[in-house]
Amino acid sequence: MEKNDLSNQIRRLRFDNGQMTQQQLADKAGVTRQTIIAIESGKYAPSLPLAFKIARTFGLSIEDVFQYENEQS
Amino acid sequence: MNRVQKIALFFVVTISVAFLLSCIAIAILYVKVGMPKALAGLGFMGIAGLGGFSPLIFQTEKGKVTLDERDRLINRRAALAGFGTSYLLVGLACMIPFFILGPKASISVSWLPYIFGAVGLNLFFVHSVAILIQYGRGDKNGEK
Repeated sequence: MEKNDLSNQIRRLRFDNGQMTQQQLADKAGVTRQTIIAIESGKYAPSLPLAFKIARTFGLSIEDVFQYENEQS
Repeated sequence: MNRVQKIALFFVVTISVAFLLSCIAIAILYVKVGMPKALAGLGFMGIAGLGGFSPLIFQTEKGKVTLDERDRLINRRAALAGFGTSYLLVGLACMIPFFILGPKASISVSWLPYIFGAVGLNLFFVHSVAILIQYGRGDKNGEK
């Protein structure tokens, strides 16, 4: 059985970028604050374009923001 | 709570109130005047029509992102749940009389508008409940 896990560093990156609020990040990425909350807590996996937008907001690449772990058992 | 949640909650409340009042009215009329006059109590289902005004009551805030990819995904899943249960309801409305009355029986066509109305209300109700459940699950860890 395969288990896919997408983790992210958004919370840490927000604080590293001058205590950016979830609303500020949402406005920059063009989504709602609820979506940022869901992504941060790992409840929602963003689409590739949105992941790029979030990463570019921090001036980083996707791999620096999102980590994908693939477990096979 | 965003606009979509408010509209969904409004639909759930109006449909629930309409259904409850209709049941009470039919029960009272059934005791007083019997069937089929008691079905006049279904007139209270008209309250559910107020749900149609919800997009006008809860208007979009200009210049603010109110709908994104996650909202569209939630809406798509909720619509699927609504149509799925509606299909099930139509199936039950067709098959239950068949099994109870038998293949040679006949039923009045006056049942068809009731089935149509019930399926429509079910679609809106399940759609709205599914929206509230999906948002409710993920709306944690927020900052003010």
